[in-house]
Amino acid sequence: MATFEVAGLRQAYGGRTVLAIDALAVEAGARLALVGPNGAGKSTLLRLLAFLEPPSAGTVTLDGAPVTTGAARRAARRRVTLVEQRPYLFRGTVEANVAFGLRAAGVRGPAVARRVGAALERLQLQGLRGRDARALSEGEIQRVAVARALAVEPLALLLDEPASSADRAAQQAMFAALADEQARRPLTVVFASHLLEDAYRWAGSLLALHQGVPSPVTPENLFRVDLPGGGPMQDVAVGPLRIVVVTERSGPATLAVAPDEIVLSAAPLVSSARNAFRGRIVRVAEHGAERRVTIDVGVELVARITRQSFEEMALAVGREVVASFKSVAVKVF
Amino acid sequence: METEVLGIAALSLKVALTATVFACLIGIPLGFMLGASRLRGRRAVLLLLNTALAFPTVVIGLAIYGLLARRGPLGGLGLLFSWQAIVIAEVILALPIATALSAAAVQAVDPRVRRTALTLGAGPLRTAWAVAREARFALAAAVVVAFGRVLSEVGAALIVGGNIRHETRTLTTAITLATSQGNFSLAVALGLVLLALALTVNVLIQMLQGRGDV
Repeated sequence: MATFEVAGLRQAYGGRTVLAIDALAVEAGARLALVGPNGAGKSTLLRLLAFLEPPSAGTVTLDGAPVTTGAARRAARRRVTLVEQRPYLFRGTVEANVAFGLRAAGVRGPAVARRVGAALERLQLQGLRGRDARALSEGEIQRVAVARALAVEPLALLLDEPASSADRAAQQAMFAALADEQARRPLTVVFASHLLEDAYRWAGSLLALHQGVPSPVTPENLFRVDLPGGGPMQDVAVGPLRIVVVTERSGPATLAVAPDEIVLSAAPLVSSARNAFRGRIVRVAEHGAERRVTIDVGVELVARITRQSFEEMALAVGREVVASFKSVAVKVF
Repeated sequence: METEVLGIAALSLKVALTATVFACLIGIPLGFMLGASRLRGRRAVLLLLNTALAFPTVVIGLAIYGLLARRGPLGGLGLLFSWQAIVIAEVILALPIATALSAAAVQAVDPRVRRTALTLGAGPLRTAWAVAREARFALAAAVVVAFGRVLSEVGAALIVGGNIRHETRTLTTAITLATSQGNFSLAVALGLVLLALALTVNVLIQMLQGRGDV
C-alpha cells in the first residue's frame, strides 16, 4: 500500500500558488528524493506530507486514510516525522531531546531510556547522550534530530535537505543508518535535496519540482530564457551561448536539456547536432555504472555517460571536451 | 515601630505576590494564545494591551473604587478598603503586563520549536510547554516586571485600600504618608525596605530560573 497518496494538492501563501501536484503516490518502504532549485516547492510539499499545515486544496492520504481534518492531521503527525533543514534541538540534553517524541507518544519508565539508547546507537551517537544539545556541531545536530525522529518509529520519515550540513562523514553515517532502518522495518523515506548527486546516490526514485509543479525533466541543464519568437528554429541566448531550439513559442520560457541527450567528444563532431559547445570538465559524480559529468561551457551543462565511455575517453576534471546535442532534444516548457 | 514596619512590609509582599500570581495565571496563558495564534483581531488586542501598559494607575484605582463602593455594582461584597481590594486593582494593573510580555516572549520563540514539537507527535499542551520552556527567560522577565509594577504601585492602592493603619497600609502608601507628614527619614527607611524586598524576590526568581537551565 502507498504510504502517501496526493490528489489535486495545492498550496498558496498570500494568494500565490507555490505548489500544485495533481497526483503522487509514495509506496511503503520507498526512498524518494525531491529535487529542484531553491523555491521549487520541496519544503512546502514536505510540510504538507508532515501534516504541519493544511493544504489550500486537495488531499493527502496517509496509509489509505485521507487526512482532512485538524484532528486527523494531529493523529497523522504521530506517524510521520519531519527533520527540518536546520533542525531545532530543545534546551537540555541530547537524551531529553530524543526522548521528547517518546514521551509525547505515552512511552513511560525504562522503555524510554532503552529506546533512546537504541536510536542513538543507530546513528552512532551513544557518546553524546548526556551532552548539552546546545553544544553540538552542525553535523551532530542533524544526526541527533534524525535519531529523535527515528526513536518514535514513524511510518514515514521526511528530511529537508539532509545533506546541507558541511560534514560529509556525518551524512554518510546518517544515510547508512536510514538504509539499516529500512532493512529492519518498512520505513518510507522522502527527502528534499538541491544536490542531485546526493539524490541519485541515495534515492530509489526521484521527483523533480520546478516552480511548484512536477517537472518532466530533472533540474540539470534548466535555463530560464526569453524566446525571441519567429520559430520554428530559434537562436536563444543562454548566458554567453546561443542555443538552437525548435519551438513556435515566444516570451519567457524554461529550456531543458536531458543529461542523456548530451554527447561528449574530444573534437567537434560532424553530425546533425546543431548545438556544440567547447568547455572544461569541472565536476564528475559517480553513480553506479554511470558518470554525471559537469562541463563549464560558459554555463554549466551536465552530461550522463557510461563508466566505460568515461574511462575510454580518459576524461577527468580539467579536460577540455565538446558537448553536443540536437536542437530537437531541447525541451521548452 | 519596628513591628509596624514589618507588618507593612509583610502586607506589601502579600499583596504583591498574590496579585502577581493571579495576573500571571491569567495573563501568561492569554499571552500564549495571543502570541501563538494567527486569529484576526490579534493585532488590535495587542495594541489595546500595549496601551493598557501605560494606563494611569489612579484611573484603574478610581474604576475599582467605583465598582467596590457601597453603591457600586460590587458594593455588596464589602471589599472596599480591604487588602483584597488592593489585590484586585493590582491584578488589573499587572494583567496587561503579564499578557503583553508573554505574548512577545512566545512570538520571539523560534517557529521551529512549535513545528518540531508537533512533528514529534506532541499534542497542543505539550507543544505549548515546549514553547514555554524555550521562552522561559522572557516569561520570567514578564513575571518580574509584573511583580515590580505591583510592588511599587501607589495610586490605586491608596484609592481602594485607603491607607488604613494595620490593615491596608502598604510600603508605598506608608511612604506617601510619611513624606506628606514631613517624616522624611521614615520615608527613606521604608523606601529602602521596599528596594530590599524587590531585590530579594528578583534574586529568588533568577535562582529558580538558573536551576531549571540544564
